[in-house]
Amino acid sequence: MGTQLFRYSEDNKEKFLESDNITFNDGSVVTPEEIWHYLTVEGPEKYPGSFEVNLYQGNRASRDETLPTSLKTHYLGLTFSDRMEKAKDRGKSIAFIQGGQAVDPYTAADTIALRPGLVNQWYGGLEHGNDINKANLRRRKSKEKAFHDMSFEACQTGGYEHVQEGDLRIDVIAPYTVLRCSDVSYGVEAHRHGPKKDVKLFNVDYPLRYQADKPWAIEYFAQNLRRLVGTLDEVTGRVTTEEDVTKAIQLHNEGRRLGTELAELWWSADVPPTNSADRASLVALGNLEVHGDVQASLSVLKEAKKFIAERVRNGVKGHAVIDNPKRIFILGSCVGINGSRSEDAGAIVVGRDDQWSHCTSLVEEEGDPYYNLAKTTLEYPYEQSIEKRAHWTIEQIRKSRADGVIFIHNWGCNTQAAVARPIVDIIKRETGIPTYIHELELGGLQHEQEQNRVNAFIEML
Amino acid sequence: MSIKTLEKVRKRLEERPEELKRAREDGRKVVGWVGYNVPEEIIHALGFIPVRIAVGGDDRLVEVGARYASSKTCVFIREIVGAFAENQDPFIQQTDFLAFDATCLQNYRAAEVIEYFFKKDVVVLGVPRNFDWDEAKQYFAHEANEFTRLLEERAEAPLDASRLAESVALYNDIRKTLKSIYVFQAAKDNVISWEEVYDLIQAGELLDKQEYLSLLQQTLAELQELQQNPVIEGDDGNSRLFISGSLIPRGDRKLIGIIKSVGGRIVGDDLWSGILPHLDLDIKEISPAGVALAYLNRTPHAALPYLDLASDKRLKKLHELLSESKAQGVIYHTLRYCDPFTFKAKETKNVLAKSGIPLLEIHTEYAGSDYEAMKTRVEAFVEMIKIKSEITEEEGVLADA
Repeated sequence: MGTQLFRYSEDNKEKFLESDNITFNDGSVVTPEEIWHYLTVEGPEKYPGSFEVNLYQGNRASRDETLPTSLKTHYLGLTFSDRMEKAKDRGKSIAFIQGGQAVDPYTAADTIALRPGLVNQWYGGLEHGNDINKANLRRRKSKEKAFHDMSFEACQTGGYEHVQEGDLRIDVIAPYTVLRCSDVSYGVEAHRHGPKKDVKLFNVDYPLRYQADKPWAIEYFAQNLRRLVGTLDEVTGRVTTEEDVTKAIQLHNEGRRLGTELAELWWSADVPPTNSADRASLVALGNLEVHGDVQASLSVLKEAKKFIAERVRNGVKGHAVIDNPKRIFILGSCVGINGSRSEDAGAIVVGRDDQWSHCTSLVEEEGDPYYNLAKTTLEYPYEQSIEKRAHWTIEQIRKSRADGVIFIHNWGCNTQAAVARPIVDIIKRETGIPTYIHELELGGLQHEQEQNRVNAFIEML
Repeated sequence: MSIKTLEKVRKRLEERPEELKRAREDGRKVVGWVGYNVPEEIIHALGFIPVRIAVGGDDRLVEVGARYASSKTCVFIREIVGAFAENQDPFIQQTDFLAFDATCLQNYRAAEVIEYFFKKDVVVLGVPRNFDWDEAKQYFAHEANEFTRLLEERAEAPLDASRLAESVALYNDIRKTLKSIYVFQAAKDNVISWEEVYDLIQAGELLDKQEYLSLLQQTLAELQELQQNPVIEGDDGNSRLFISGSLIPRGDRKLIGIIKSVGGRIVGDDLWSGILPHLDLDIKEISPAGVALAYLNRTPHAALPYLDLASDKRLKKLHELLSESKAQGVIYHTLRYCDPFTFKAKETKNVLAKSGIPLLEIHTEYAGSDYEAMKTRVEAFVEMIKIKSEITEEEGVLADA
């Protein structure tokens, strides 16, 4: 029996064609007609796995065909690999970075910044015609290479498996290390023994412990950012000025503002205006880095806000969302639950702390841009002490009117796993909301036993 | 042949918890410290009694710690957290407050978890990862000053420069004496074993520093009397092994015991819990920043990433120590979830292979369930080194003939 593939219905085409173009960093434009063609003809052929009707696909597109920006984020996701390849062909510089960090300095230095999930997405898209299982097996096989060269206990491997195998043309490995993860700094270091000697390595050293209150920590981190931009310039051959950095801050502030407004709009609705997947994919646009193209993200984000406002005004409920779903807030790095299966079980994901923490952190636009960036970065709520982080999280949980909280950590992620219990303890104590801690396998398909625990929690709620 | 002073050291260690208790009754404060870059001299100079919190080998405490800090945290940190949860360790019981550094992120997380769950007063010293940069040194100097200020608050007195100079001189003497003693364990016809020296080093984490120096000097005098000219030779008929990797704290002697039981002889280490922290510590300026920077300038801890393999000071030091000890093989000990060392195991193996030095990685935790499996692997490694050594000897004889 062949695999059943999802197809966008022609019934929605007309409305979709009335929506906006997507404008990219290089000034090029893609029209709704072209997007529709891709999603209905080219995409299913290249990436059948993404169109597969399969319960185990955790991050599949939402299938909300009446929300044009849902189709657009799907399009940006599917074309990601091709766009990165084309960017490289045009000589664009690409950096490997950490999740949970803003990318303003990279944008200023005309460099595409890709966090681990995006690097994996780039690799995943290089091979066409795979179903979900084949695509996942390919990813796992590649990860084994990194485990072999580093440690099987690694959660993050710094893109080692893709860069050192020569699969991806990444120019520089330059994440904010120690920010929320320790593995990534060991992953960066591991590249020093790999065969690819032309990849630049740089640690942006994120200081720890009450760092935002210490002027010397801010100055040190600012100096790290200055050196980072210098390193990125060595790759591109250009000179990034302070004015470039300020402009990048202004651009990203616009994204952060829009992303925050969109999330708050969503939270303000009596009924969820989208399902979990759409909420996540639209709010994620706020950091502008999610599709490897800040302008494309910004253009979809602007449009998304209009659509969500309209839905909230008209009381439209998101696709496949049941009446009065239990509202779940997710905590932890590089994690998530299977949105559609959780919706089937009677819940909806209303927020996450990861990515959201820095989306809410606006950078001062006047004065030394490096100092301003450093100060804001050291103030990320996610990176503060246990109590401070927990209290910020409680605020988000209250704003989102969550009924339950799940703290998820990936296998091998000791940095987040270590503070999971104290954080959920504080949340439970101060809000009375049920919580639980959940371990996930990074890069695995959404396993039955994992979903079983989530469903039991939803049922309990 | 036994060194009489070592007996004294063991006895004094047994008496130490009671002694600490009395000292606290007299108004002294005990500081428990955890880390690699904690400048102990500053703690000492402020009149505190420093004790190093480093316990291992108890899988029950590991389980207890996992309830608070997750089962994904390294075994050593889980046991420390478990020990605070149970509060039965006689040294932990006597601590008034704690000093941690952020060299290893898991160490830092332990500070946070202990502070939160067990309401311990914790002072944390930030440590830069780009430690070889001038800006990082400036940052660390500020951190050292802040660390000192927080300690001064707890001492209710400022740090006196002359007291700091005295503490530095005392600690320098301790380090110098330890280095002299260390040579004896690696020598031919050794009168003290590496295991005994290792215990002696760790005794210094708990004993009064002045008394400890005196005990070390007595040990050295005894050694010099028994063996006037210790000579380190590579072909002494033993499998000469070097231990590297994750720390092996007090209470954890599983691997060390196995090596001994299969006929291996340990002749050196670069462990965080061994000789390494005592080497190359050159304090150029008597100030909190001066002391702290000397710590940072030593061989860096594996938790601090360094991006150029060719100029890595940690690997350079490993080669130097291997050469000094004339070790024939390395047993690279990695604890479960100890990322700083597990991530580098294969790399270190490849680097040493270029110098013809074999490396065996032993990945373990504090449970006893892997004892036999570890023993088989270590035994095979020891045997391999012996055979290799015999072949080299035979080849030498043939070449001479």
